[in-house]
Amino acid sequence: MDAGDEGSEKREVEISDDRRREFETEALPHLDALFGLALRLTGGDEARSEDLVQDAMLKAWRSWDRFETGTNCRAWLMTILRNGFINSYRRDRSGPVKVEFEEIAEGPGSGGLYDADPEGRVFDRLVNEHVLMAIEELPAEFRVPVVLADVEGMGYQEVADTMGIPVGTVKSRLYRGRKRLQASLYRFAVELGYLP
Amino acid sequence: MNDQERPEGIGPHEAPEELSCEESLALVYEFLDGELPAERNEAVRRHVQKCRRCYPHFDFERIFLDYVNEAGRAAVANPDLERRIRALIAEDEA
Repeated sequence: MDAGDEGSEKREVEISDDRRREFETEALPHLDALFGLALRLTGGDEARSEDLVQDAMLKAWRSWDRFETGTNCRAWLMTILRNGFINSYRRDRSGPVKVEFEEIAEGPGSGGLYDADPEGRVFDRLVNEHVLMAIEELPAEFRVPVVLADVEGMGYQEVADTMGIPVGTVKSRLYRGRKRLQASLYRFAVELGYLP
Repeated sequence: MNDQERPEGIGPHEAPEELSCEESLALVYEFLDGELPAERNEAVRRHVQKCRRCYPHFDFERIFLDYVNEAGRAAVANPDLERRIRALIAEDEA
């Protein structure tokens, strides 16, 4: 190897070091946010969530050249993770789809949380963990739209596009998913003695 | 409201849509999510503002959605995950 080759090799190493440092400063601080999203989407499956985060980070690293510095890195990473989750979610769904028809009290005036606590006082007493537990308890077909819309703030069309389902289905799953969440929170509140 | 219910001589533009409590409550999430077309949105808003039964219900659902949004975000990843990712990246580069 002559001196010239050695020089260019050194430059390459420096460039890749810079690239890695940049990735570590820009992308790694969003690890908790990504993990949080993965946990919500998987319904609290920590091992699967870590895998999702790891896959997303590796994918992000490999396409780091395509990330435009100065744009929202967190949103970019979240999209990569969400896509990874949705792909596996769709793969799992490709078999016979199990649909739950079991209905619970969900309409207005049907003995739900609103009737027991119309001012929503219980929301001041229940802690984050309760919401997370309630989200985890939701079947995936309700949990995913609820997380995308209510935690991530997506609009109906965006949820529909992400999940590959019609907007009307998003609407009805959000309605039922939210009512189920309220029913779980109601149950927790009663168990904790906050509500009779 | 259909044409038969509308008083004579009043066209659709002069008679803004009147919603019942049931109709409004059925739209509570679409309203709070900002997903209704402008006219519908306006009709729900008008109903809720003057309805003593619907107003607290809409307020409750708004508090609930804010609560879910806030609470759903908290999470801390295992520090080991960051180490593994750093190692993966370094390995991937080599």
